[in-house]
Amino acid sequence: MSHHKEYLLKVDDLSIVYTGEDDKVKAVDQLSLGLKEGESLGIIGESGSGKSSLALAIMGLIKDGEVQGKITYQEEDILAASAKRLKEIRWQKIALVFQNSLEVLNPVLTIGEQIKEPLRRNAQYSAQELEERVIELLELVGLNPDWRDSYPHNLSGGMRQRVLLAMALSCEPELLIIDEPTTGLDPVTKDEILQLLKKLQQRMDFSMIMISHDIGSIKELTSRVMTMYCGQVVEVGLTDKVLRDPFHPYTRGLLNSSPNLFKYKDLWGIEGEAKPGEGCAFSSRCCQSGANCFGARPPLEYVAVERRVACHKGGIEEFLEARNIKKTYQLKDKEITAVKEVSLKIKSGEVVALVGKSGSGKSTLAHSIAGVLDVDEGEVYYRGEQVTDNWATKMIGGMQIIFQDPSSSTSSRMKLLDVVKEPLEIIKWEDREQRKAKAIDCLKKVQLPTTEAFLNRYCHALSGGQRQRVAIARALVTEPKLLIADEITSMLDPSTQANLLRKLKGLQNQEGFSMLYITHDLHLARKIADKVCVMNEGEIVERGVSFEILENPKHIYTQKLLTKAFKGLI
Amino acid sequence: MKKVRGMRVIEYLLTVLVIVTLNFALPRAMPGDPFLVLSDVEEEAAVLTEEQRQYYFELYGLDRPMHKQYLSYLGDLLRGDLGHSIYYNESVTTIILRRLPWTLFLVISTVILRTIIGSLLGSISAWCRGNFFDQFLFFNLITISEIPAFITGLLILFVFSAMLGLFPLAGAMSHFTTYSNWWDKLLDILHHAFLPIVTLTLARLGGIYLLARNSVVSVIQKDYLLTAQAKGLSKGRILLWHILRNAMLPIVTRTFLSLGSLVGGAILVENVFNYPGLGLLMQEAVNVHDYTLIQGIFLVVALFVLIANLMADLIYKHFDPRIESNEEATA
Repeated sequence: MSHHKEYLLKVDDLSIVYTGEDDKVKAVDQLSLGLKEGESLGIIGESGSGKSSLALAIMGLIKDGEVQGKITYQEEDILAASAKRLKEIRWQKIALVFQNSLEVLNPVLTIGEQIKEPLRRNAQYSAQELEERVIELLELVGLNPDWRDSYPHNLSGGMRQRVLLAMALSCEPELLIIDEPTTGLDPVTKDEILQLLKKLQQRMDFSMIMISHDIGSIKELTSRVMTMYCGQVVEVGLTDKVLRDPFHPYTRGLLNSSPNLFKYKDLWGIEGEAKPGEGCAFSSRCCQSGANCFGARPPLEYVAVERRVACHKGGIEEFLEARNIKKTYQLKDKEITAVKEVSLKIKSGEVVALVGKSGSGKSTLAHSIAGVLDVDEGEVYYRGEQVTDNWATKMIGGMQIIFQDPSSSTSSRMKLLDVVKEPLEIIKWEDREQRKAKAIDCLKKVQLPTTEAFLNRYCHALSGGQRQRVAIARALVTEPKLLIADEITSMLDPSTQANLLRKLKGLQNQEGFSMLYITHDLHLARKIADKVCVMNEGEIVERGVSFEILENPKHIYTQKLLTKAFKGLI
Repeated sequence: MKKVRGMRVIEYLLTVLVIVTLNFALPRAMPGDPFLVLSDVEEEAAVLTEEQRQYYFELYGLDRPMHKQYLSYLGDLLRGDLGHSIYYNESVTTIILRRLPWTLFLVISTVILRTIIGSLLGSISAWCRGNFFDQFLFFNLITISEIPAFITGLLILFVFSAMLGLFPLAGAMSHFTTYSNWWDKLLDILHHAFLPIVTLTLARLGGIYLLARNSVVSVIQKDYLLTAQAKGLSKGRILLWHILRNAMLPIVTRTFLSLGSLVGGAILVENVFNYPGLGLLMQEAVNVHDYTLIQGIFLVVALFVLIANLMADLIYKHFDPRIESNEEATA
């Protein structure tokens, strides 16, 4: 860090507009980036987010489009370079590994010819030397040199990827841009290609830009990552930090859609379609967009060290923050500390599983956060405001808690409908009819009947599972943004449990609903949790992203817990 | 692989057999017989007597059973004997061999010219697709190729030979001339052949032009062209090795496949220019109902088309490496 390295590649305010027959498509929109020598940058984003256009623009290869802004490579302006100079830069300095398809190779030339073709420009090579170089390159990428006389259609997808790589490396470029190196490959080949790229980068020491929607490859190969959406950069940061804790809702959406990151969790794609407009491009699909998101485009700003995010809300909102919660119970002459100075944060659209065995203080912590219990020490903030009284639970879109024992929230002497709509009655929401309609709506969500006869039943006449569902419906009636769920599904049959959890996850994905999910069932936690906090004896002993905690626990207690829970399975 | 080739050979042999059989059967299926017409040549009602008919039937072997006639026909063919022309009283093979070179000369010159010119214009059109020059070429070439060859031929003959007197009106060589050297002879031949070749070329240019234009346009949009550009290759290399090398494939096939229909076109044009090729011979043979001769011409033309097909097959394989493995896959 002692001396400042100049940027190898710098892109400033780059915009690319494709001018079609009748419409214009903005592929890249005021994008800036900097790449230092030896660095490897990953670019992630859905198809059509402008990743490949950016790659082509860097090589000066945009044809039917208007390109604005500046691309500087080693202090040379690429967009202003002459055709002759561009030819010298291409492949000699910057090479591109095209996205693998049969179409990117010329069908009538042998692969050997296509690999040595760029070398022919240097007159100093004799035919013999060219041939030797091809053999050397093919060996380098792990392909039998005998294949050099074959045609592209003779090769499998994985072999073709190696050929594309050999071709790109032929002139020993300083910067290698790799477009989707692993799409369409089987897991074994994919891993081989990734390992090969890693090895080659170490050996040949090129800088790298890797475009991929495969988060696994990005994680493996890059040190920094950039998320692109609608041609804009929405998040930039260090790869492990970003993947562990994304700040932009779009980045998180991408991670949640990645099967190889969360092995056991359900996959959730990002809802909606891209509709770039005046304001934040992602606002139409964002689960936390508010009024000010539609007005202007958010600037890319630093929100943490080495982390920039383009979001009007400074990234994913923090719904809940509990600071140093301490709770002691007074027994006859003994004092038992159930929760020892625990802090906890929950972001919008996040499911945090609080796991631990019975008596570890999970419920006490939950109740303290919800304000059901008075804490000895510590504060709780809901969306940035300190929770005093019950304001956060007495509003639409606030915080709600569901208790383990449904009888605590569903009085036996009340009729079912009244129980469900009671929270609305308390806050005097709208009129009677609407309250009833809302209650019925929530009952449907938890798969309970909604006939008049059923609605007029008393709660004591319900089964345990039904009563639990009534309690959940009661909590959902105020459309909470944060749900504290204390073992809510333990009394449900597996099918109802599965349906309910999916419903809650759906809400999370669409509306940014978040949940503190207290459970001792690690199987369930593994299915639904984004983050996991492990509690033991009143303390959170380990916390982090679910794919790390549940895959590779560090704390001995967590390890013990996991071995016990998954004994029969793993 | 071997098996596939074997199949191909059998396919071609079967086709030849079918053609030969049709050629044998068709005239025999027609009402009447050659001697009725022969006696009617001068439009005099000089009907042969029954004895004379009998004599001719025996002379030409037409009295033998069908299968024997067929077998001896096949035997003759194998020996290169196409029969005896009734009208010219000469071996059909000799007549055809005398006329064939002229037609081949026309057809081959045309093929070469129009493939080169058509591909060139098509490539230029594709290169500047959408602008004025492209539209101009497109409109004119399509219009010209829609006009039947004999009309173009007549027009050209009228303007350049009759009005301007730049080219001879008929024939393939000047009559009663002795050439001092081969160069003069060649010039004379070219002078005679020029207008027929131009006519045929014009009539056939549109197809190749369109094909070349589409082919180049589609190649230009291929991903591998972007690859070639990204590799920083020179313009010449991109044009030759990446564009033309690929765009050529359909043109080559079309060129060979169209040889057959070009012979058909040549027949019409030869008649317009009174050019002594197979076409003119065919017209003469039809006029005098010389069945043996007609049969012989048909057979030669059919074989020619077949050979052109075979060449297309073989050459395409050489140019497109994907073909072989497709065959392997289907075998």
